[in-house]
Amino acid sequence: MNTETAYWMALEHEWGCSNATGNGKVDKMNIVIKFFHEKQMSIADFFQLSKEEWKNEFAMTDLQIYNLEKAKSSVPNYAFLAENLQNSGIEVIPVVSADFSKTLKKNLKTATPLILYIKGNKQILQEKSIAIVGSRDASDVALQFTDNIAKRASKDYKVVVSGFAKGVDKQALDSAIAYKGQSIIVLPQGILTFESGFKTYYKQILDGDVLVLSTFHPKAGWAKELAMARNPIIYGLAKEIYAAESKPSKTRQGTITKGGTYSGVMDGLKRGRTIFVRQPEPTEKNDNLFLIQNGAVAIDFEGNIIPTDQIEMPKTFAEKIKEILSKGRLTTKEIHDKIKFEKSDAVLKKELEKLDFVERKKEKKKNYFCLKGIEEKGLFN
Amino acid sequence: MTRRETEILLQRTFKLPAFYDEQWQTIERILNGERVLLIEKTGFGKSLCFQFPATVFKGATVIFSPLIALMRDQVKKLQLLGISAKCINSGQTAEENTQIIEEAKRGRIKFLYIAPERQENSEWIEATQQMNLSMVVVDEAHCISVWGHDFRPSFQRIINLVKLLPQGMPVLATTATATKRVENDIAAQIGNGITVIRGNLMRDNFKLFVVKVNSEDEKLIWLGKNIETFAGKLGGTGILYTGTRVDTEIYSKWFNYLNISSTSYNAGLDTDSRIAIENGLMNNEWKCIISTNALGMGIDKPDIRFIIHTQIPQSPIHYYQEIGRAGRDGKPSYIILFYNPNEDRKLPEAFIEGGRPSIRKYEKVINVVKTGLYGEREIIKQANLQTTEFRVIKADLIEHKILREATYGKSKKYEFIPNSQSLNTKTFEELRAAKTKDLDKMIEYVETTGSRMKFLCDFLGDNSNHNFANCDNTGENKIQVVVTPEWTAKLQDFRENYFPELIVEGRGSNIVNGVAASYYGVSNVGSAIHRSKYENGGDFPDFLLRLTLKAFRKKFGNEPFNLILYVPPTKSGSLVKNFAEKLSQVLKIPISHVLQKTRETKEQKIFENSYLKAENVSGAFTYTNPSEIVGKKILLFDDICDSCATIKEIGKYLTSIGAVKIAPLVIAKTVGGDLV
Repeated sequence: MNTETAYWMALEHEWGCSNATGNGKVDKMNIVIKFFHEKQMSIADFFQLSKEEWKNEFAMTDLQIYNLEKAKSSVPNYAFLAENLQNSGIEVIPVVSADFSKTLKKNLKTATPLILYIKGNKQILQEKSIAIVGSRDASDVALQFTDNIAKRASKDYKVVVSGFAKGVDKQALDSAIAYKGQSIIVLPQGILTFESGFKTYYKQILDGDVLVLSTFHPKAGWAKELAMARNPIIYGLAKEIYAAESKPSKTRQGTITKGGTYSGVMDGLKRGRTIFVRQPEPTEKNDNLFLIQNGAVAIDFEGNIIPTDQIEMPKTFAEKIKEILSKGRLTTKEIHDKIKFEKSDAVLKKELEKLDFVERKKEKKKNYFCLKGIEEKGLFN
Repeated sequence: MTRRETEILLQRTFKLPAFYDEQWQTIERILNGERVLLIEKTGFGKSLCFQFPATVFKGATVIFSPLIALMRDQVKKLQLLGISAKCINSGQTAEENTQIIEEAKRGRIKFLYIAPERQENSEWIEATQQMNLSMVVVDEAHCISVWGHDFRPSFQRIINLVKLLPQGMPVLATTATATKRVENDIAAQIGNGITVIRGNLMRDNFKLFVVKVNSEDEKLIWLGKNIETFAGKLGGTGILYTGTRVDTEIYSKWFNYLNISSTSYNAGLDTDSRIAIENGLMNNEWKCIISTNALGMGIDKPDIRFIIHTQIPQSPIHYYQEIGRAGRDGKPSYIILFYNPNEDRKLPEAFIEGGRPSIRKYEKVINVVKTGLYGEREIIKQANLQTTEFRVIKADLIEHKILREATYGKSKKYEFIPNSQSLNTKTFEELRAAKTKDLDKMIEYVETTGSRMKFLCDFLGDNSNHNFANCDNTGENKIQVVVTPEWTAKLQDFRENYFPELIVEGRGSNIVNGVAASYYGVSNVGSAIHRSKYENGGDFPDFLLRLTLKAFRKKFGNEPFNLILYVPPTKSGSLVKNFAEKLSQVLKIPISHVLQKTRETKEQKIFENSYLKAENVSGAFTYTNPSEIVGKKILLFDDICDSCATIKEIGKYLTSIGAVKIAPLVIAKTVGGDLV
C-alpha cells in the first residue's frame, strides 16, 4: 500500500473545504492539481507546508487552512484504518495514481472523488465498460433486457458496472458472472461493511472477474444519500450507459416520486452523456419513453438502436391539451379527468397557465380554459 | 526542551534524578518527532525512553507489546506514579477491554499497552479513529525480524502500520536482543530515516556455568541434591527452564517428591493460573519455578537469583534473552546450563528441522484456499493437517504474501491473494541454514574455554571491552555432578510412583480424568509396547501390568468399579483384550467384551488433528446389551492414548446409555509427535 494513503484519506474525508458555492469537491481537486501537477509535490510534502505557504501559494482561506490543520491531525488515525484496509486486501487508489479509472476522471472532471477503495482485479478499471441501470422492482422484460445487454457486453470484453441494488443491478451482475464477463460492483456504503458480499463473491474476486469499489468512508453503513451519491460514480465509470427501466418509486409516506434511475439518467443527459434506454412495450407503465423524449437514445430488446422516426412517442402535456381544447372549452376538472392528470387541480391550473396557446376565461362564475384566439361559440351568440 | 529542563520534569513525574546519556539521546530524538531503534540490555531503562516523552506529549501513546505480563507490570508502575495507563489484552474480559477503549476515545488515557494482534479487532480500530495519538512504540522489536529468536507474524501488521504513519510522528522500537543482522532488518523495515542507538550488553553480576552430563538422570539428581542448598545460600528464588511442557511436569513432580518448594508454569495454563504464578514469583512464594521459556519475558523482578536451563536453547540469542531476566538488581546471579552431548542437540534440532511442514502440505493449503473462503478449522480438516502445522504454514504464506488473514465478523478466514508469486522455498532453506548455524554457536558456547560472557556479547554484535571474569572458565569453580547409589534409588522410586494424568473430563459426559502408567517416550515402556504391537513380540510384558496396576491404585485407590471395558482395537489383535483380562483377574472386577465398533474406523494416528480424530470415532461405538451399563461405574482400558478422542467418545456413549462413571486407564500416554 502506498505510504501516503492515510494522507489521502484524511484529505478526502476530513477536509471540509466548501467554497462560496458550497462545492467542496471543486476546491479539493484544484488544490490536488496545484500541488501534484503544477508544483510536483507529494501529498505528504503538501501537508508539511506551513500555514503561510498554504495561504500564499495555494490561495487558501483561513477557514480552509483551519480545516486542513484538523485533517492533518487525523492522519495518524487514518494510518490505523489504512493498515486495516491493507490487511483486508483492500486497495486505496488516489486520483493521481496511474491505476485510477481514467474514464471516471474524464466523465466527472472536478467532481471526481479523490480516492477509490477497491478489492479485486484493478486492471478492470482500465477496460472498456458499460453501466446497466434500472429499477429495484423491475419487470421481467426489463430483467431479460438486462441479461441481453450483459451477455453482449461480456462477449465484447466490456466490463459491466452496476450498483448492487435489487432488480436490474443484481441482474446485471449475475448475468455478467454467468457469461464469464467482468464486473464492477459500485457500493452504496463503505467498503469495510461489505463483508457478506466479499464472502459471496470470493471466487469471482479471486478469479479477477469482479471488482468491488466504494468511494465512501470505509466504515460508512448503507444510507439512502450514499445510494444517490453513488449513481454518478456508476455513470462515471462507464463509457456507455444502458437504462433497462425507470419506474416511479413510492416513499414510506406514500408519496410517489421519480426513481433513482430517472434522476440518474436525467443528470447524465444534462452532463451530455449518451444514454441508451430500452423502448418499452406499449403496455408497460414506466418513464422510459419520457427519458427517450428528453434526449436518451432508444434501443430495442437486444440493444440495437431504434431510429427516431420509428418511435411512437407519447403525446406531451402541451400536445394533449391542444388536442382536447381544439374541440371546445373545458373546466380544470374536465381537463384533469380527460388527460388523467396525476397531480392536483391547483398544479394543473398552474401548468395550464404556463402554456402560451391557452387562455382562461370566466363565465357565470366558472373558470374555463380554451385555445387562444379561437372564439368560443356560446349557446346564446 | 533542554536536558536540564526535562530532568526537572523527570524528577517531578518519575522521581528519578537524571537520564543516562543513551536515554537522553533517544528521548531528544523522540521529542523531535523522529524514529529510533533502541537496543539496550534488560534493566537498562528502555521504558523510560518512551514513558518520559509520552508524559510530555498532549495525546496518547500506543505501545505494542507481545507480552501480557510486561504490559500488566508497566501499567501497575505507571499507575503508582499517578499516570493514566491501561492495557488491552486477551487476558481481560471483553467488557474490561471495551471500557478501556471507551476511556481512550475520550482522551483519558496517556499510555495504552496493546498486543499486536489487537489490530484485527474492529472495536479497537474504531477507537483509533477517535483518539488523539502522539507516539507509537514497538516493544520487543526483534519480533519484527525472521532472523531474530522470536519472530511473530502479527508484528508484520505493526510494520505496515508504522509505514503508514505520517512524517513527524515519533516511533520508538526497543529490544534487548538483536544481532547486527536483526538490527539491520528492523531498521530497514521501519525505515524513514530511523536512528539506531545501541548500548553494551555486558552483565557483570552474572556467574555463568555449564554442566556437561551423560544423562537426564544426572540433571535430575544434581538439581534434586543441590537446588535447595544452592537457592538457600543465594537467599533468593529462581527459574528452572526445561525444553518441553512434559519436562516441566516431570521436574515439578520430582521436586514435589523431594519436598522442594516449587511450582510449574507453561503457556498452556489458563490466565488466572498464570497470573497467580507470576504474582507468586514476584513474592518469592517458591524457591524455584519450573517453566518453559514462556515465563519471565518482560517480568520486572529485580532479584531473580538463578536461572537454570536443563536443555540448551536454539541459539546464543535465545539464551542471552532468557538469562537476561536474572539479576536486574545488579547483585550476583547464577546462570547454569546443563548439556548432555548425547541427547540434547536433538530437541532444538527438531525445532529447526521440524519447524516447517513439507512443501506438499503448503501446496495442500494453497489448493484449499483457492477453492473457497474458509476458516482454520475447515482448512485443517480439508487438508488433513495438525493445527500447529497449519499455523506454521499460514504464517509463512502470509509472510510470502500468498495468503491473507481477514476478519469476517468475529471469525478469521483465509483468502488466497490473486496473482501472488509461487512459494519460494529458498528463504526457508536460508532460514534453516541460519538457525542451524546458530545452534552450532550455542554448542560452541558450551564447549568454549574462553569467557562465556564475551562469547555472548560478541555473538550479539557488542564488541566493547570489559573485564570478563564471571564464568567457570574465568575463575569460578566448575560444577561437577556426583551420582550416589542413594540418589539413584531415590530417582528410581520416584519414576515408579509417578503417573501422568489423562485430562478427559468434559461437559455432558460422566467420564473422569484417568491415568497412564507412563509417558510413551520417557522410559522403557514405549519400546516394550512397540515390540508387542508391531514386532510380533507377543503379549504386553508383565512389568507393564505391574506398572499399570500401580498407576491405577495411585489414582483411584480403593474406589469400587463394577465393570472393566476395553477399547475395541483397530489393528493390534487381542493384545488389549488379553491385558484387560489380566487387569480384571487381579482387580477382581468383571470384564465385558461387548463394547464394539459399529463401523470400521481408521487408526487414529493417521489423523493429524483432533477434529479429524474426533470425526473418525464419532458415533462409532455400541454396547450389545446396553441395560447392563445402567448405573455402572466403569474402568475403561486402552494401551495408548494421544488426544484421547476415542476414550472421550466412548465416555460420551456410555454416559448416554446410563453409566454413572467412566474412568480411563492406559499403559502409555504419547506426547505430541511421539512415533508409536
